[in-house]
Amino acid sequence: MSDPAEVEHRRQALRDLSRRGFLTTTAAGATAIAADMGHINALQSEAVTKQLKQNDTRVILLWLAGGASQFETWDPKPGAKTGGPFRAIPTNANGVHISELLPQLAKRMQHTAVIRSLNTRIADHGGGASLMETGRVRDPGLDFPDLGAVVARELGRLDSQVPDYVSLYTSTEGRRKGTSGVLGSRYAPMFLSDNMIPLNLAQLDAVSSVDHEDRAALRDVFARKFSKNRSSAAVDSHMSAYQRVRGLMASEQLFNVENEPAEVRARYGPTQFGEQCLIARRLVEAGVPFVKVARAWWDSHGQNFETHQELCADLDHTMSVLLDDLSERGLLENTLIITLGEFGRTPRINASLGRDHFANAWSCSLSGHGIRGGSVYGKTDPEGNTVVDGEASAADLFATVLQALGIDHEHEYMVGARPIPMADFGSSPINDVLA
Amino acid sequence: MTRRICAVLTSFVVLFHSAGFASENKLLPADTLIQDAIDHYLQMGIAKNGISAVTHASDETILRRTTLDLAGRIPTRPEQEWYKQRLPDERREQLVDRLLSLPDAAYHQANEIDSHLLSNSPYNGEFREYLLWATKEKRSWDQMFRDMLLAKPEEGPLQGATQFLRTRIREVDDLTNDTAILFLGINVSCAKCHDHPLVDDWKQDHFYGMQAFFSRTYQTKKNVVAEKFFDEVKFKTTEGEDKLASFMFLTGDVVPDATPEFSDEARKELEEKIRKAEREDDSEAPVPDFSPRMQLVDIALRDDHNAFFAKNIVNRVWARMLGTGLVTPLDQMHSGNPPSHPELLAWLARDLKQNGYDLNRLIRGVALCEAYAGDSEWTSAAEPPQDQYFAVARTRPLTHRQLALSLQVASTSPVNWPAAEASDEWTQKRESLENRANGWARDFEQPKEDFQIAVDEALFFSNNARVYDDVLRDSGDRLIGHLKAFEDDAQLVAALWEAVLSRIPDEEERNAAVAWLQRENEDRVEKIRQLSWTLLAGPEFRFNH
Repeated sequence: MSDPAEVEHRRQALRDLSRRGFLTTTAAGATAIAADMGHINALQSEAVTKQLKQNDTRVILLWLAGGASQFETWDPKPGAKTGGPFRAIPTNANGVHISELLPQLAKRMQHTAVIRSLNTRIADHGGGASLMETGRVRDPGLDFPDLGAVVARELGRLDSQVPDYVSLYTSTEGRRKGTSGVLGSRYAPMFLSDNMIPLNLAQLDAVSSVDHEDRAALRDVFARKFSKNRSSAAVDSHMSAYQRVRGLMASEQLFNVENEPAEVRARYGPTQFGEQCLIARRLVEAGVPFVKVARAWWDSHGQNFETHQELCADLDHTMSVLLDDLSERGLLENTLIITLGEFGRTPRINASLGRDHFANAWSCSLSGHGIRGGSVYGKTDPEGNTVVDGEASAADLFATVLQALGIDHEHEYMVGARPIPMADFGSSPINDVLA
Repeated sequence: MTRRICAVLTSFVVLFHSAGFASENKLLPADTLIQDAIDHYLQMGIAKNGISAVTHASDETILRRTTLDLAGRIPTRPEQEWYKQRLPDERREQLVDRLLSLPDAAYHQANEIDSHLLSNSPYNGEFREYLLWATKEKRSWDQMFRDMLLAKPEEGPLQGATQFLRTRIREVDDLTNDTAILFLGINVSCAKCHDHPLVDDWKQDHFYGMQAFFSRTYQTKKNVVAEKFFDEVKFKTTEGEDKLASFMFLTGDVVPDATPEFSDEARKELEEKIRKAEREDDSEAPVPDFSPRMQLVDIALRDDHNAFFAKNIVNRVWARMLGTGLVTPLDQMHSGNPPSHPELLAWLARDLKQNGYDLNRLIRGVALCEAYAGDSEWTSAAEPPQDQYFAVARTRPLTHRQLALSLQVASTSPVNWPAAEASDEWTQKRESLENRANGWARDFEQPKEDFQIAVDEALFFSNNARVYDDVLRDSGDRLIGHLKAFEDDAQLVAALWEAVLSRIPDEEERNAAVAWLQRENEDRVEKIRQLSWTLLAGPEFRFNH
């Protein structure tokens, strides 16, 4: 790293440069860089964190890729011929039982509402994932944004120095990248495809810090000269993309779990899911409105029970730690955790002791911000074949989520001449699970 | 049902005319030059609304703009020299004709059509092979439409034309919508669930009518696009009544169903053959006499119906070159959304049709019109005129391929380019340039309407090792190696500006850049690299302006 005195000297040189000539109309060029660094570090201070807590709402989506079984999670049917070998256990919410595979979460149901009556009909991975990511059946004429992009747009700040939609990878998930659709690239996810640190966030060793910063300032000066008399949304987007670079580079540290105290890391554990959830916590703490963490692969066509024993243990532990950690930091009241996959699994246990794709009667959970903890909504029949009470569609779930976040689910995006409501036509929020 | 179609047709015709889609008989004569017709109609709009238009852009800007639009890249230094040596009155026309005669024109046109038609499946090798063959052969647009929609099993490059349907074949909605949007400029998807609420032209009958042309299309195990002998599209109307779709084109015209009657036995036999073709490698698909897809192609191109087909491609080429369509959004060519210049659109569509759907002819005309040469800067204190007057040139983002190619051109030592006249050498260079650029294009986003530059791109330019190690490499065949040989800083700066921005720096820029190079205590090559970066990562390079 360079000597701070030297940095200041170079900056001064640039200011002198500007006084000599063509910066007269573009003095902002030099000041912009002075302001952009250090923002993230400021978030570490108590006062700023508190202020963010009051103002901002965030979402962590725990995506159970492949489709988790409702029987082995939120809607157990012990004793039924479809029920499988596991018991149901009581939770700290009165009268609510969940699968014995989630013992830690059972002790934290004050934060969580369970919806047991999803009937989303689409039971292939691609179609189901697209439906549960966007809350509507894919419409070929309409590139609708997924929930992350909608939240980034509605809850993120335009001038944000942190990313506003981060999607953490899992290699077995098929790398569904997510889409900002008609909202445009500004709201596209920062997608981590095969590494815990996003691409191109770290500065090259070959370029010195001073050069990196100074050349950005000089670039800005030339850029402003060009864009001054050319008003265009595309030109503006280029300008603001480069203005966000140094802020985002500072957020590189958010992706580094080494920065967490050893005991916090130990609590989350050394698993990929655990570390990614820890990163998710760091990101929402710094103001990132939407983080998706995918855990794969729940697609248990064979050996459903062993698969769920292993995956539920990971989910139970990690989600519990995440709830505790957010809660202790006072962040849970502002953070909504959605635990969801593309569909559930069949009541019928097949010859390979597996359960197949099933979208007609399955479950998900919502925890934290805006949610009535300990509540259960909807009911399936004794064998879990159909919804018998409170049937909810993907659109209803989206309306519920948006409502919990304080976003009007009937608000419309205009796509060309076509008004498209944020939650699909005919949906309504499930008020029973909302605080 | 018949009554309903008539009602639809009547309202359609009335709206179609009342909304300002011009009739052909009042248009300028057919033998008017394309650029003159454009100037005439745009000038009418400007004069009628008291708009003040900008003056011409500089020669350097026009050279860069035209080269990007016709060759898909920025000009080389020999091309800059060549342009300066032309007579001022003749250089624009000579430039356009020269560019259209280069191999670049076919590459660029193939790239543009690729982005337009197969953005759902980018970098599809078979499709690109077809497109390159077709653009090199100067295949007409209607013929390309036939190639792609009829999708006959062929040997050689024509095989790739089947990719338009094959990449969409699992979803009949995709086949229907994408064909309507991309070839006809019409998005009927909102008429799927209900009659279109805002556009009287489109009812559910139109959506399902269009779908009926595709519902028999399937793919065999051998990846041949085939058609079934019978299939009916049924839908539920908003009143809850079940309805059978006819083969209805967007105009409301219906193709009679000529599906022959089959005995139950014959049906079963055909179904079995089709099942086999879908599953077995060595099974041939039976071919029906009545092909709904062929009917669609015929009706779309029929003389009294091809307004949609011709106007769509005119509007898209126009938007590509002038930044805004005559109709915008591009997939909303309907009576509720009239064009800014109805007569101009009608004239250009007629001209294209009467001249064998020759897209290069259209592109040449647009490149020579006055509006195309306008300045993109609006310096007046007054509000700039709205886009629909085309009084100020639009600043347009480069496509991912234009950007990748231009990066290759800019980062090559300017003395490495062959003279503007040398054609064989250039053909070879251009091919290797295209191949190299392909690797880079994947790092950039393919622009859509209302494109925004994502922060990912700014991060890529700022921190990616390839930008530093390749684009800014210090070696003799590269820009940096060329620049560092200059002893005089002002000359170095001028050479840099010419290589990257295709122009000479002004005094302010030169002073700032020289001051940058004269900073103390730093490696000179490093200073040249970072100075070059400020231009390569800047908007002037990123946009066509």
